[in-house]
Amino acid sequence: MERTRESFSDRKEEEESAAQEIVNKPVTSRQSGRDPAQLLIYRFLTFTSNPGEIEMKVLRIFLLSLWCVLGAIPLAPGTGTAGEIGPSKPRSSVIVAQKADNTSPQGPSTMDIPPGGTSIEDVLLQKGTITQDEWIQIRAEQEYRAADQSRRLDSIEEWKYKTEILPILRDKVNFGLNALQFLYSHLDAQVPEGRSQDSFSIRRSELIFWGKISDYIPRWHALFEMQSTSLTSNTPTSGASTPTAATFFRESYIDVRPVQSWAPNLNMIRMGIFRMPFGIFTETSGGLRDVISSPYLTSVGGGPGAPPQNRNGTGGQIEFIQERDYFVDVRGKIANRLEYVVGIMNNNNFQANALVSTTSGLGGANGPKVGYTRVRLFGNDVSFISFTTLQGESNNAGTLINGRGKGRFDRYAVDFRYTSKILPGFMMQGEYWQGHDGANATTVGTAANGACQNVAQCGGSGAPGIQRRTWYVLSKYLITKGPFENFEPTVMYEQFDPNTSMGNDLYTRTIVGLTYYFENFPPKLQSKIQFNYEFRHHSGLGTGPGTPPYDSATDPFANNAFFVQFQVRFM
Amino acid sequence: MKQGWAIASFAMTIVVGACASPNLFPSEVMEGVDPNFDFSRWRMVPNQALERNIQLGGSILQSERKDGGVTIVARQLPIVQHPAYGPKDTGKSSGEFAIAFPGSIDSPFLQRGNRVIVVGTTKAASVVQLDDLPRSLPTVSAKCLHIWSTEGRDIADFQSVGAGYNTLPEQTFCTKAQ
Repeated sequence: MERTRESFSDRKEEEESAAQEIVNKPVTSRQSGRDPAQLLIYRFLTFTSNPGEIEMKVLRIFLLSLWCVLGAIPLAPGTGTAGEIGPSKPRSSVIVAQKADNTSPQGPSTMDIPPGGTSIEDVLLQKGTITQDEWIQIRAEQEYRAADQSRRLDSIEEWKYKTEILPILRDKVNFGLNALQFLYSHLDAQVPEGRSQDSFSIRRSELIFWGKISDYIPRWHALFEMQSTSLTSNTPTSGASTPTAATFFRESYIDVRPVQSWAPNLNMIRMGIFRMPFGIFTETSGGLRDVISSPYLTSVGGGPGAPPQNRNGTGGQIEFIQERDYFVDVRGKIANRLEYVVGIMNNNNFQANALVSTTSGLGGANGPKVGYTRVRLFGNDVSFISFTTLQGESNNAGTLINGRGKGRFDRYAVDFRYTSKILPGFMMQGEYWQGHDGANATTVGTAANGACQNVAQCGGSGAPGIQRRTWYVLSKYLITKGPFENFEPTVMYEQFDPNTSMGNDLYTRTIVGLTYYFENFPPKLQSKIQFNYEFRHHSGLGTGPGTPPYDSATDPFANNAFFVQFQVRFM
Repeated sequence: MKQGWAIASFAMTIVVGACASPNLFPSEVMEGVDPNFDFSRWRMVPNQALERNIQLGGSILQSERKDGGVTIVARQLPIVQHPAYGPKDTGKSSGEFAIAFPGSIDSPFLQRGNRVIVVGTTKAASVVQLDDLPRSLPTVSAKCLHIWSTEGRDIADFQSVGAGYNTLPEQTFCTKAQ
């Protein structure tokens, strides 16, 4: 009994001694002093522990010997004793340990075991609670988990790299909703059969894409108006017009900043189609406008019930300045106070691109180019006064802009914006425009050819060259405190005189509005609901012989209107 | 002849104005500002460079109003002359710093991403909550701040943001002593 106790005690001491040696070593060197080659052979041999596969094992020994002969001999002289370890290891744990060998430097030896300390399984082994085989199994599983974790981290790193170079995360490509506007409108005018005074509609549904390629190409830009798929009539030289042109995009341009050190004095060259730098309203995005209707400055007259064009040049739709065109211009800012734009454009509206023949090279412009320039002087960062002029020629044949004649074309404008810093939230702006349209101005779709005022010969309206004038003043106040916070009352008054040399043709409109902002972080975010009531008046179609009769009851521009518009904008 | 002189004078004014750097701050505030201040070093050992007059550019990460003042946490950005004068995100940042301003600043100017230039003196590092974690950041006691309300865009790019023309609100805030 004593001897038994001594033997047991001795054996226990030996085991503890052996265990002490292997603590804090990776599993690859924990085979009781065996080197990695021995461990590898052991694992190889024990890959299949089924006794019925002895032949396979012999074959493996042969293959292993062959491998040793071929170059792995320096591993260890004791390779052949691998069989001593015995085939009793579970299959899975051995496979796991084999995988873990490759990652042992990152395994538990450096991760799990605290410096100078021991892990639980080490303690259990020291106390004899678990056998060495069990210890190996535990360690192997730990190393497998570590290897798996490492593999997962590698995979995440790889995805991280792939993600980081995505264009959308590098500002190369962005997209947003410029404006999605749901509109309810009510018009007091007598409407034709089949039309209604009340209607629901989508005013704008515009997706925007943009990005920055580099410091030299600081912006590309494309805006798609989802309602732009309908065809616009052309303006033939004779005969009936046909629906011809449509462009799905409304805006597409490229900014080029050729020399960095010249900016901001020469900030960029912009080319493409975009909102023209004509005053304030024209260049304001549809998703940021303070009133629902566009100003008469960009469009007035025309439509069902409205009087058609006439020899006085006072009827039909008139687009005094177009909101968009194809252009190339240079922009810059001097001394942080004086901003300028100088450019040249097609002067034939946004549909002109659809008329271009890419095979023949026939363009969409209908005549000579028009030059433009604007100089804007800043009083402070957000208040300014500016002067704009457009100079050139226009053509009525092939025009896609209403109210343009053939001949001299010019516009002169002064505009201002005052954003109060004394009364935060208050803003006032205004524009005054005057300009000349060539003779025989016509509406789009009505055949016209030449400046003669004989409708039978040259088509068009037969009107002489006309001087037109328009102006507006808009004021608003955003309430930022109290129970009416985020409400913004707005008022706007405007006039449009289609022929300054004739009386009784004036369009006037007063818009009273109230806006509530759900989100208001312009220019990027703006969700709001707008209520606008428009007091409209149209004097008539002029004076003198040949002036056509006028019925204000059916003229939409002579009858009041009410609009409610809900908007979402996000970019 | 008089018209010629007037045009020449105007052109000269434009040229001189174009070449001059904008003066955002009063000249007395800029006196003694170290043009070679090493932000990276200060970021590592903030307490070894106390009471030095410096100018730093950055992008606002967060701000907090407290005790009549404002504490702004900003990510440092280099101040460039082109394409527009001010802090520019070049993809390289040396870290964050805190700005202590003993005055009030309107909320729109404290939006995340706004660009800021601060002139002030270095102070001992202060602990601020950044993303709900306490962080010890080197601190500038601001004499004057200039903020561009770009909301994350670079100053030169702001005008074209939003599918239209946008004026960029910017403002200088100084302590009452200035």
